[in-house]
Amino acid sequence: MILIGENINVISNTIGPAMKERNAEPIQKMAKAAAAAGVDYLDMNIGPARRAGDELMEWMVKTVQEVVDLPLSLDTTNVAAIEAGLKVHKGKALINSISLARMDEELPLVTQYDADFIGLLWGREGMPRDEDERGMICAELMMTANTLGIPNEKMWFDPIITPASNVDTNQVKPCLEFMSTLQDIAPGAKSAVGLSNVSNGTPNNLRPYLNRTYLMMLMKYNLHSAIVDAFDAELIAIARGQRAERVAMIHRIMDGEEPDIASLDPEEAKYAKTVNVLTGKSLYSHSWLEL
Amino acid sequence: MAFEIPKTSYTGKIKEVVLGKGDKAVTVGGESVYPFYLFEGEMPRLPKIAMEVYDSEPEEWAEAALEPFAGVTNDPVAWAKKCIDEYGAEMICLQLASTDPNSLDRGADEAAEVVKEVADAIDVPLIVWGTANHDKDIQVLTKVAEVCQGKNLILGPVEEGDHKRIGASAIGYNHTVVASTPIDINLAKQLNILLGNLGVPDKQIIMDPTVSGIGYGVEYCYSVMERMRMAALTQQDEKLQLPIICNVAKEVWKSKEVHLPDNEANMGDAKKRGILLEAMSAMTLLLAGGDIIVMRHPEAIKLVKEMLADLTA
Repeated sequence: MILIGENINVISNTIGPAMKERNAEPIQKMAKAAAAAGVDYLDMNIGPARRAGDELMEWMVKTVQEVVDLPLSLDTTNVAAIEAGLKVHKGKALINSISLARMDEELPLVTQYDADFIGLLWGREGMPRDEDERGMICAELMMTANTLGIPNEKMWFDPIITPASNVDTNQVKPCLEFMSTLQDIAPGAKSAVGLSNVSNGTPNNLRPYLNRTYLMMLMKYNLHSAIVDAFDAELIAIARGQRAERVAMIHRIMDGEEPDIASLDPEEAKYAKTVNVLTGKSLYSHSWLEL
Repeated sequence: MAFEIPKTSYTGKIKEVVLGKGDKAVTVGGESVYPFYLFEGEMPRLPKIAMEVYDSEPEEWAEAALEPFAGVTNDPVAWAKKCIDEYGAEMICLQLASTDPNSLDRGADEAAEVVKEVADAIDVPLIVWGTANHDKDIQVLTKVAEVCQGKNLILGPVEEGDHKRIGASAIGYNHTVVASTPIDINLAKQLNILLGNLGVPDKQIIMDPTVSGIGYGVEYCYSVMERMRMAALTQQDEKLQLPIICNVAKEVWKSKEVHLPDNEANMGDAKKRGILLEAMSAMTLLLAGGDIIVMRHPEAIKLVKEMLADLTA
């Protein structure tokens, strides 16, 4: 699995000000630490960057690639900033992301700079409500890209993960359903998820359980890539195939096995409870691990 | 082959909570089906209506809402007795509006004294409702709990920010708490867990999902309550198997529509309009799963009781 480190982000208390002041040191330090933690790409999330986003992205790409040898994911809604980053990027960059709204401007960049792109399944009317709407958006993005000569292999579709802490927006089932049909809709296309979104709104110390469990669930559908916290070593171990037994347990629960949670080892029990919350079998509350 | 009507398969039951004490104690909860799904199972008792009484002279009330209580609105004890003797109230909800720091800011001792006078004067269960200001509610409701020890009052709203102090008082002096959350099922479940962790037994908790009246988002309240009942009755979610209270009267009667004069904006008779808005809002919440509805106007209550009788005939 391809892991994309999410830690270089404008909303971070250290990285945000460093971006604004063009202070390379905290950014380079974070980039080196994330690379050392074993991720494959680094996400450059500069936010909407409406003003001078192009200068910022160019500086970010140069600054980071000066100290690490990884490809970058250029994460902004500012098209000019994406292009400025692509111009100076070494290796094959990932555009994060292209959706229906701006695809006519952004898709040409994919061929022009030989980049890959994350195809965000965000509809013209906002968040897709189910797997079918995800499929329709995916098909439209794919066909538009194909007419420009972009092969499916360059497309990493993101079904959009939403927080588990809010029952109104819990989209686990449609995301998994979509993942199971992706190869039928877009043969050869890849997948990508913003994993940590699932634990937005959850107390910080508990977030890793949601992130890791959801990753294991997505692995059932051969998830290609995930944007993750580079410093969750356990999560990286899972992605690298080092927790096969736990992953198998999660997949058995997804297939309908009902483990006797009381008889499980306490750590295993936490993951089993988290599967039940994510599938909607039990209702989320901040104390879900204690019940 | 004969057609068979599909049936929901229920796995849970709402816990029974006893409110008040003595002959006039009231039990709520106990249902094991969706609201009024009497063709699928048991709803052992009808939901209850609590009548509102205010601890200070109401300000800016619509004429229609004042009329039934003429002469007693400056005397909470007389007001409560009128509700019981004249309008047949089975429960009273004393709204401690005077304690609001943005209004009269009456102190805890004085407020608790009024509560005690009302509690001593009536024999039906007494719900005591603060102002949702955490600091003030902690002062007032813990004092109320103390001076009314043994009366099994229902104290609310208890929110995450003040649940420890008020919850501890309720345990110590044996009262029931109203666990109140802002129309969010996950937060509702979490607060029930926190109260449980604190040691408040389930038989001393009822839930307030925070409701509004018709025209002000009642649909959303309906969905949240409906989802609570689905979790409680079909998903064995024990933390949500608790009776629900809806404090809706003050939401209805503060709305703009209730205050428009007769025939303004083609809205017809003002009195009838207020009564119907209250009755219809209450009925909507009953259909969503409300076990206790806090109401104001005797005629609105009469309408709701007739509808309840029809539904369960």
